Amino acid sequence: MILRIDLSAKLALVGLLWVCAFMLPWAYQAFLCVLVITARFAIPQLRPQSERSSKAFSRFLLYSVAVATFVILLNSMLIRGGATMGSILGFSLYEEGLFFGVRTASRLLLLTYAVLLFFVSTPLKELIRFLQQKGLSPSFTLILLLTLHFLDHLPARIHQIFLAQQARGAPVDAGIVSRSRALLSILSPLVLSSIVESIDRGTALELRGFLNRPQDARLITQPTAERNALTIILLAGTIILLLATLSRWLLG
Amino acid sequence: MAARLEISSLSLRYSQGAPLAISALSLTIPEGSCVGIVGPTGAGKTTLLHCLAGILGKHHPGIVLSGRLQIGDVAYEGFPRDILFPTVGLVLQDPFVQISGVRDKVYEELLFTIENTGRGGEGSDFLIQSVLRNLGIEHLANRKPTTLSGGETQRVALASILIAEPSVLLLDEPITALDATAQAKLRAILKGLHGKTTVLLTDTQIDFPLSVCDEIVILDQGKMIVAGKPRQLLSDGHDLANVGGWKRWGRITARLKDLSHEASREAPRILKALGLR
Repeated sequence: MILRIDLSAKLALVGLLWVCAFMLPWAYQAFLCVLVITARFAIPQLRPQSERSSKAFSRFLLYSVAVATFVILLNSMLIRGGATMGSILGFSLYEEGLFFGVRTASRLLLLTYAVLLFFVSTPLKELIRFLQQKGLSPSFTLILLLTLHFLDHLPARIHQIFLAQQARGAPVDAGIVSRSRALLSILSPLVLSSIVESIDRGTALELRGFLNRPQDARLITQPTAERNALTIILLAGTIILLLATLSRWLLG
Repeated sequence: MAARLEISSLSLRYSQGAPLAISALSLTIPEGSCVGIVGPTGAGKTTLLHCLAGILGKHHPGIVLSGRLQIGDVAYEGFPRDILFPTVGLVLQDPFVQISGVRDKVYEELLFTIENTGRGGEGSDFLIQSVLRNLGIEHLANRKPTTLSGGETQRVALASILIAEPSVLLLDEPITALDATAQAKLRAILKGLHGKTTVLLTDTQIDFPLSVCDEIVILDQGKMIVAGKPRQLLSDGHDLANVGGWKRWGRITARLKDLSHEASREAPRILKALGLR
């Protein structure tokens, strides 16, 4: 029995954090969000695997804070109940809406941070190899691979299409209204080219025998299986949390 | 090991009632030889290769296929309905999509194919090194596949298929994105495969196939227009322009005509440039 942060432990951690996002009060969720961000810097195995993923993580943190603030403000304005907490631009902010917004935002943040931490610290090839070793269906692995590849190359592709549309005079650099109108001219080629490339990439992988991979092929790269104590602890934590919540709900 | 490829009366429609994408095509490629399919866009070149590789049969359930395919001793009535890898290896037109994206090094990219064939083991390293050496890309072994140039990616894509030692190698417009130097390298590689693997390649231009293939087939709208050895086509170049349908593939015959004309004046230089001498 060993104790290490490998892929199985990371997956178990994501599972535990997701359960926490639904079962724990918002204050715990907010605390866990801070812990996840700290872990990204403090634990070597959870650090981004490349400079690109590191930048993506930082950028995503920034966006997520903006989205969370927006969710909280919107709920505070729209859900009218409790005391008035203040006002912004003439709109009153209500206590009930504020707490609902905070609960929703902290849950969303924890869910996304957990997934983000997993993907920035796990190279795609490692994940695919792990899934193959665990005997996941090759078709499912192929779909996952194509999806992740698409997401990985999405920013570069958007930039490319953005430049192409700019070159043909689309008002991509103008004000927010023009940019919104130009969005369609970016989205259409983005979706179409992504579908075409995914089909081609899937075909290419099939042409290299990916779907007909013999079961024995798993053994070629599979290291000696050894139970990871950390994975077991995290899984146990998830089950205990689920049982505790269920008991509390049953006992009123 | 190379295998003889025999296509008998291949007809193909994408669905019942759709026009014929390939019409009664018969072609025999002796083992170890190289045949080029030349034709304009929409001639049916890619369709033919995808059909031979088994992609069409597998992914288009409504496709109407008739005819017979024989690869070595194995015959497929009505053409294959599953992917024939590793017996048949297909390198797609866009080599960049052939790179799996799940391996960090070219060496591992080749290992990925070996793992898929379930062969793996101790002989893998020797096999990978020999394929890298034969294709002249040993220096790329530790490079990240996604950082390679177009020519390098083309050769890695080819290596990723050749590592499985297919009996028949299909190349879909392999020189589309290659400059003259990269084309010359690919030409040398294909000549090196002569006798070892049966090769069927496609192109919209006739120059490259003339320089590497033992036989060339001009295809248009799914029909075979002309077939012959490069020398024969060069000598018949003037007459080909008069064959029906030349407007669609006139560019090819015009080029042949030019080459024939040049060949008659400057035969030694042209033939040498095309690698026919």
